[in-house]
Amino acid sequence: MSDAESPPDDDVPSVPDDEIPDGDEFEPVQVFPDNELDLREGADDCYKCSTCDTNCPVAEVDDDFPGPKFQGPEQWRLKQKDDHDVDDSIMDCSNCMRCDNACPSDVPLSQMHNEARGEYVDQQMDKLSVEYWRNRVLANYRISAWFASKVPRLANAVMGNSLVRQVGEKVFGVTAEREFPEFAQQTFRQWWAERGGPQVRSEDKRVAYFHGCYANYNTPEVAKAMVRVFEHFGYQIAVPDQGCSGTPMYANGMLDDARRDAKLNIKEFSELVEEGYDVVCSCTSCSMSLRQEYPELFSFEGTAEVSASTYEAVEYLRIHEDLNDAISAASVDGPDLAYHAPCHARNQGLDRQAVELFRDLDGVGIEDVGESCSGISGTYGWKAEKYDKSMAIGEEMFEHMDEAEGETGMTECPTCAMQMEHGSGYEIRHPLELLEDALVAA
Amino acid sequence: MADTPSVLVIGGGSTGCGIARDLAMRGLDVTLVEKGNLTHGTTGRMHGLLHSGGRYAVSDQASARECIQETRVLEEIASHCVEETGGLFVKRPEDTEEYFERKLRGCDECDIPTEVLSGREARQREPYLAKDIDKAITVPDGAIDPFRLCVANAVSAENHGARIETHAEVTDLLVEAGEVVGVEVRHQSGKGTRSHGAAGTIEEIEADYVVNATGAWAGQIGEMAGVDIEVRPSKGVMTVMNVRQVDTVINRCKPKGNADIIVPHETTAILGTTDAEVDDPEDYPEEQWEVDLMIDELSKLVPKLQSARTIRSYWGVRPLYEPPGSGTTDSEDITRDFFLLDHAERDGLPGMTSIVGGKFTTYRMMAEDISDHVCAKLGVSATCRTADVALPGSKNYRVLEDAMDDYGLTSPIAKRSTQRLGSRAEEVLSITDPNPVVCGCEGVTRAELQDAIGQAGTDLNAVRIRTRASMGNCQGGFCTHAMAQELHPEYDAAQSYAALDELYQERWKGQRHALWGEQLSQAMLTYALHATTMNRDSDPVDREEAIDFSAFDDGGDAATGTDTRTTAADGGAHGD
Amino acid sequence: MAIEQDVLVVGGGLAGITAAISAAESGAHVRLVSYKQPTLRHASGLIDVLGYTPDGEGPIVDPFDAVEDLPEGHPYERVGPAAIEAGLDLFDDIAGDTYEGNHTDRNALVPTHGGAVKPTARYPDSTAAGLASDGRDALLVGFERLVGFDAPLAAKHLAAAGAPFDARGVTVEFPVELSADPKVTRFAHLLDQDKPIGGGTRGVRRALAELVNGRLDGEARVGFPAVLGDDHPREVRTDLAEHIGADVFEVPMGPPSLPGIRLEDRLYEALDEAGVSIETGNPVVGFEADGDRVESVVVDRTGNDVPYAAEEYVLATGGLVGKGIDSDREGVEEPVFDCHVAQPSDRYDWFEDEAFGDHRFARFGVDPDRELRPMDAGGTPEFSNLRAAGSVLGNYDFAAEKSGSGVSLATGFHAGRLAGEGAT
Repeated sequence: MSDAESPPDDDVPSVPDDEIPDGDEFEPVQVFPDNELDLREGADDCYKCSTCDTNCPVAEVDDDFPGPKFQGPEQWRLKQKDDHDVDDSIMDCSNCMRCDNACPSDVPLSQMHNEARGEYVDQQMDKLSVEYWRNRVLANYRISAWFASKVPRLANAVMGNSLVRQVGEKVFGVTAEREFPEFAQQTFRQWWAERGGPQVRSEDKRVAYFHGCYANYNTPEVAKAMVRVFEHFGYQIAVPDQGCSGTPMYANGMLDDARRDAKLNIKEFSELVEEGYDVVCSCTSCSMSLRQEYPELFSFEGTAEVSASTYEAVEYLRIHEDLNDAISAASVDGPDLAYHAPCHARNQGLDRQAVELFRDLDGVGIEDVGESCSGISGTYGWKAEKYDKSMAIGEEMFEHMDEAEGETGMTECPTCAMQMEHGSGYEIRHPLELLEDALVAA
Repeated sequence: MADTPSVLVIGGGSTGCGIARDLAMRGLDVTLVEKGNLTHGTTGRMHGLLHSGGRYAVSDQASARECIQETRVLEEIASHCVEETGGLFVKRPEDTEEYFERKLRGCDECDIPTEVLSGREARQREPYLAKDIDKAITVPDGAIDPFRLCVANAVSAENHGARIETHAEVTDLLVEAGEVVGVEVRHQSGKGTRSHGAAGTIEEIEADYVVNATGAWAGQIGEMAGVDIEVRPSKGVMTVMNVRQVDTVINRCKPKGNADIIVPHETTAILGTTDAEVDDPEDYPEEQWEVDLMIDELSKLVPKLQSARTIRSYWGVRPLYEPPGSGTTDSEDITRDFFLLDHAERDGLPGMTSIVGGKFTTYRMMAEDISDHVCAKLGVSATCRTADVALPGSKNYRVLEDAMDDYGLTSPIAKRSTQRLGSRAEEVLSITDPNPVVCGCEGVTRAELQDAIGQAGTDLNAVRIRTRASMGNCQGGFCTHAMAQELHPEYDAAQSYAALDELYQERWKGQRHALWGEQLSQAMLTYALHATTMNRDSDPVDREEAIDFSAFDDGGDAATGTDTRTTAADGGAHGD
Repeated sequence: MAIEQDVLVVGGGLAGITAAISAAESGAHVRLVSYKQPTLRHASGLIDVLGYTPDGEGPIVDPFDAVEDLPEGHPYERVGPAAIEAGLDLFDDIAGDTYEGNHTDRNALVPTHGGAVKPTARYPDSTAAGLASDGRDALLVGFERLVGFDAPLAAKHLAAAGAPFDARGVTVEFPVELSADPKVTRFAHLLDQDKPIGGGTRGVRRALAELVNGRLDGEARVGFPAVLGDDHPREVRTDLAEHIGADVFEVPMGPPSLPGIRLEDRLYEALDEAGVSIETGNPVVGFEADGDRVESVVVDRTGNDVPYAAEEYVLATGGLVGKGIDSDREGVEEPVFDCHVAQPSDRYDWFEDEAFGDHRFARFGVDPDRELRPMDAGGTPEFSNLRAAGSVLGNYDFAAEKSGSGVSLATGFHAGRLAGEGAT
């Protein structure tokens, strides 16, 4: 007898049916709705080897940070149901997710961290504090960016003003050390509408583009490169309505905000997936979020389908087209590149992709600047109190960039790009832009 | 001292420690001897259920009433040992409605407060309960740490002047003129706290009265004086899960049966149990089917258990007793009540009483009964105070939490430390030396270990039961050696290594019953760390033949830092 | 469409890397796919070949003398002494001057963090000055906040083992203010960076050396737990040695193990230099076969199943710890290709009652023919183009024998070369 058929004495109106666990399909994520996730059993997989700790860029520069093994399996195992105090060090985790990739025993570390952070913010953080609202604004970058995009020149002028930045640090805790990213004069979506949408039609080659916030508001050239490269290979592109992927929200424990945007994204993209589209992202944190975090955190209808159909853009072409041959046959005239693999690319097995692909491209040298984390981790490095830590983590990457031949940087992640530029002064490019140069512009 | 009557208590389980405390608080001169460490026998091998009495509410209402009464007492005097989890009797569709009603009525008759929950309400409280659970009865069951409770009783006894000797095995009863006048004990490593490698000594301890509180071992003590004590030891298995799948005690609502209870215990959940009579309380088979039965049967209540990780299993032996001639065949039907066997009345052997039967939850009441009995014998009029005076450390730990910030511990570690140490937390943790975590699984710091070593000497198993160090998912793989290192330099190197070997073997013993899946991977990693990286399995110190160091590579020039690669005298790398 | 290569190596530990490089050397296009980080960083970084016989005789002075007496089915017996030599040669080439020990066939005895010594064939240069057969007196230095290595205790235990030198141990506070539980990587990072401390000009290395100087009593060498740098270990050691005025060595720890991490970094560089394509982070979840040939394996790329096709495959997924061998209450399996794993049907025969007994589980793994093709229960290769290397192999107890790295190198080399030759 399932609960749906239970007699009327089971009438407990406050708990909707779908929140009651369902026989053998016990998934903790479904069992404990909203903020009552219980991941203690994720601790079953941990055999304490500390591989995660050796991969944690924060623990390396800050010994007050107890590390992913503690933040994940140990804390969840030690914590008891009615304990409502997640250790506050959870806010020092930068959500780079390297521990996920490290664990030889399949512990859902980043999921545990996301949940612990969500619980901490929800139950222990003062909602009237400047820190809470600063994090909330940083996490909801898309909303600020939307306003700024209405008046990009004014926004750039204001944000570029050093006085404004000093005030931002003093009052709001946003570091004055960084220059705010410049807003594009025309967003990608404006450009897309202006060109009249897709220029290529296809029945069997269709991708839905998740451009995310940054490529829309700040670097539309990356998004345009994606469009041109995919159209070059004969794909019909759709650009549906979309919100933020959620990455900066998880990182700040703002799970409600993430849920709101995820709902929209899953609705829009699952409709296209049903029509045979695959989902393609140009930002590796966005693809990470749709692929891994959505199914871990949400259970909207279509979540699994969207997750299983999502790819990073270059990865998609490597799988579906003979990209190696195309690259081998092409040549460009460009500067040598110092490539940094974003942590979130590493988690998707994409950390070697750009280097292995472009080393066969004539006219350009590419060098991996090592496996260290850039240290910015999205909004993390923007917080005044985290700035020094962020730069300490990045030091190894800056060192390697300095040692590399190339004086132009390359990475898939927009915030890593900010950090690379901030630490080295190099111009930073996206692999899609180089692909466009090699295959389309030629 | 001649004015103060002396009592010798044999057995350092909950009953013995409870008696020692009770008599010491009444002003008697008490010595307790225990052949292993405290809780070595049955107390250390129970499932940690603090009975509300619900389990006996149908079959044995007298016991049920005692349980609810004592549970209320322990919640007051031993709050740092008790977790008030609450309990559920859950009914599956195949369990009878009639028994459910009888259980409910029985609880009512015994003044055990209950509430009936629908299946859905029960799952709201415990989301991993099987979806076909029909309904449930709530009862005020709890979880209790038997180790901490036992140690707290012993510490209290010591505070009242008692002498507690562990690793002191009774080798003979001293009988003079037909009366028991004391015992002969063998101290494994001399008097006082254990010190590995120290020479064993024999001591004769005289006393005005002897109490045999050795439970399942009572018959063996009786034999020494030629009296027959018909204890019927009954074994039961307990399987420890790595995490708590439930936060409430889950009982299956049906008449007697194997595998019908899940007790959340500290960081773990414990599945129990079986009930089978054995001949010898120290030598009985521990079998695979028993572990499998726990998992398969209890999965019917909590399906998640089927795929969850277990970290070990252990067996306990109940000290069941029934008066001669009762003729019960099934050990499950033997009463859980306890009996005082005054050997003067029973066997014509004055000077000693044995206490047998009974159950952990009512240990204090049993201790009170026998203490009254002993006092009557000795003409002491002092009355029992154990129900009114809190045990050392007992204090609601929630009021201590704020203070924990001072010790620089991360939140869950501070929380668990405070839970274990109770009101002693400040005394133990307020040290100025660096205080790293030594056992990550259970969040045990150096200061807590040093405190336990102060109490237990080189007996790392006694340190373990005080702190929980090495009781988590790695079962000591990552901390047993670090724990042993804490013994040095107070104890010498050989003692530290001997203590390590003993603890490591003890951890292995229980883990053997959990070797599949994650725990087998864990065991292999532990084995690799201890054998490959540390070479503990072939440690030259333990081998008979001395190593000829000169026969091995001495590094050649590389070692002396000239950093040139030379060809060694034996002709260089093989095959070159 | 499938992602194509000549040889596909599944597993990124020592065996997989060796196999990939050895296959690449034969001219094949090789791709290595590895799900999570290998167990290299659990291990001490020592390259053991054979320290004890399967009967527990030892420590063995020359492993090559003992190899010939190994029982049938042991991985060394399968591949023969030539493969062991070739595997070690390949390792020596990769490791360059970061490892020592190839000047002799004899094993070295290296002090462990537990205070014992263990026999090993190659050892990181950072441990070279610490060998137990070196007669120079040694001071061992431990850190207050680093549990697991008690230097005074280890020193006494070395003496008890009859080591031919005087060892003394001291415990010091690391000269940087630290929380109670710094990670090993934190110590390494501080020593790598060597920043001035306390506002002065004195760096961390110098400050540590001065602490040690005060405790030195004429010892010619000083041993530290293996946290002396991650990126710049040699500079850290050289500076410490210079400031202390004695040779400096590391006592391997683990897990986590800095020597293991450094070795892993070096090995991945070597993979890159050999032109091997590398993909980490995604698991192999299935395969397609045609008769006795594996046609492709399926990689789960964060939710998307993608086929990878090759001529030859090498399975190097590790043992019980690396999850190349999996188990449940019912039995033991090799989860990728479901190759036969011999096992007692009764779970209670998988182990012995003594903690360091001759555990059957320690020898769980696939049973290969002499070309390292896993065989089915009847002794026939499961697939003609699938070979196995490293601890996914059964029939040996690497922990008791101290043979883990040697078997990975020998079988990795052998499997890789046969795969490379078969594919080109």
